[in-house]
Amino acid sequence: MKLLLIEDEIELAKSIQQFLNQNDFMCEWVKNLSSAKDKIANYNYDCILLDLMLPDGNGFELLKELKNNNKPEGVIIISARELLETRIEGLTLGADDYLVKPFHLSELLVRIQAIIRRKEFNGNNKITFNEIEIDTLSKVVKVNNQPLDITKTEIDLLLFLIGNKNRVLTKAAIAEHLSGDMADMLDNHDFVYAHIKNLKKKLKDAGAVNYIQTVYGLGYKWENE
Amino acid sequence: MNKKLIHKTQTLYIYILIVLFAVTAPLFYFFIQNLYLNEVDETLIVSKSEFLDKSISELTVNDISVWNKFNSRIQIQPNQNLIKDTLFNKLYYSQLEQEDEPFRELNAPILIEGNPYTLSIKTSLLESDDLITGVILLFVIILLILFLVILFINKLLSERMWKPFYQTLQQIEKFEIDKHHKTDLPNSDIIEFNQLNKSIENLIEKSSAIYNNQREFVENAAHELQTPIAVFKAKLDDLMQRSDITNGQAEVLNSLNDTILRMSRLNKNLLLLSKLDKHAFSESETFSLKELIEKNLSFFIEQAKSKSIDIISDFHDDFILNSNKALVEIMLNNLLLNAISHNVGNGIVHILLADKKLSISNSGKNIALSTEKLFSRFSKINPSGKGNGLGLAIVKKICDLNNWQINYTFSEETHTFSVLFH
Repeated sequence: MKLLLIEDEIELAKSIQQFLNQNDFMCEWVKNLSSAKDKIANYNYDCILLDLMLPDGNGFELLKELKNNNKPEGVIIISARELLETRIEGLTLGADDYLVKPFHLSELLVRIQAIIRRKEFNGNNKITFNEIEIDTLSKVVKVNNQPLDITKTEIDLLLFLIGNKNRVLTKAAIAEHLSGDMADMLDNHDFVYAHIKNLKKKLKDAGAVNYIQTVYGLGYKWENE
Repeated sequence: MNKKLIHKTQTLYIYILIVLFAVTAPLFYFFIQNLYLNEVDETLIVSKSEFLDKSISELTVNDISVWNKFNSRIQIQPNQNLIKDTLFNKLYYSQLEQEDEPFRELNAPILIEGNPYTLSIKTSLLESDDLITGVILLFVIILLILFLVILFINKLLSERMWKPFYQTLQQIEKFEIDKHHKTDLPNSDIIEFNQLNKSIENLIEKSSAIYNNQREFVENAAHELQTPIAVFKAKLDDLMQRSDITNGQAEVLNSLNDTILRMSRLNKNLLLLSKLDKHAFSESETFSLKELIEKNLSFFIEQAKSKSIDIISDFHDDFILNSNKALVEIMLNNLLLNAISHNVGNGIVHILLADKKLSISNSGKNIALSTEKLFSRFSKINPSGKGNGLGLAIVKKICDLNNWQINYTFSEETHTFSVLFH
């Protein structure tokens, strides 16, 4: 999987690039619009991570160009601008997702995965992890081919955990993923614990291996033992 | 006591009128009376001269009693040893009126056939009293009319002259620094008012510029902080993935994570507030308030459940709002999350929607919150809490933008915030 990161903030870009490379992506990074255009003209990418405010122009320009050239790349806008208008403009210009800085890298990861899934399988796909199978479209989870009685939030949580397998996820990152914008106002993330507990129990009852590990002081981790 | 400018001048006029009246009326009365008395005295003296010229030469001592009998006005009385003419007022009993009447009398020494007598000529002053009263009345009436007309003209003129002033005053009263309407001060042909308007315009312009600078500074500062926070978060996340973290290090990392989250939350709220100040949320749509509450209710019930708090919702009626939906959602979320986080164990949150009013009550500490600073920025009710003191400021701002009224009440361990939608 090849990704292109267009971001002028060096430290942030380095972190994102390193993080994505660790998670089986090939992430290339450019700092400005002109080099981004060069890259896009010469290579194909599965997904483009686009910052809006770049030293040589607005990220929207690139978005328009991609759309005009019917480029198939999925685009995630990563921007500090969180105005609804900017968001809507970005999405109408053909971006697939919009992530407001500061975000959790784990959140970025599952969003990239979702876009690639949509692009490759036209949104109709199943995720399998050993004995667990998730149909992201019909929202059905099966363990050893037996459907599981599971809530929407729990599916969301399961996808987030599997998407970030072998990575420590803080309660805050999970809370933010589950409650979206609302998480900004939460002063505690206790509800995450309840969801994790329920999901663990349901998976265990269905005969799945206990993949969810509690990491002392930090959070949770989906680990294939 | 505060009075309107026009009242002030009017009252002054009335006071002057009263004083003027009090002083001039007796003076006037005195003058008129003197004038009249002089006139009467002259008549009396003329009568006496006529008497001396025509009658006295023909009178004999024996005629006196007859004269007196037929002349009640001019009497010849026994000698009173007068040396010269004397004039004085005297009361005589009138048979006709059955009361004393004022008279002016002239006594003069005369000689009839060489014998000294006193000539007494009198005139009733009764008519003069009527006359004086009439004159005084006329005087008063004229003066009164004059004053009323002056008062009226003065009022009319003042109103016309001060009109630009009142218009300016109205404009200033309407002015709010955080609203973006332009003040339109009237032009006038009076230098002072134009000067005033110019000064006010300058003042407003300067204050607005300073206010906008301040607001922009907050916005830019918050905005610029987003990227470093993002970097910090990413690096922290990266660090957490290491497999050789000890428990102690994990605790430090966790606390760092909490801190950066708080900072990120604070920053986002600051950004939101400065955008609210900038009126960046102009687009509005029509939506049902009940539906908006219900949309996120399951999330709040879940949040409440983790603290064993019950949420009871009472939707008596629904109403349709025309406003910025995202902002109303933020307002609702802030109020509901506050109600949950400032609650007590096994407490309740009660959402009541009735009569164009949304009330969110929660059980809590048995102390009313101080309403003074409740809605101001960074006023924390619970200093140890994780809240950043911006939630209610945001709620208030959103209400203000929509001209809704927000109130806080407290009774029997229940804190209630209610929003009245007009």
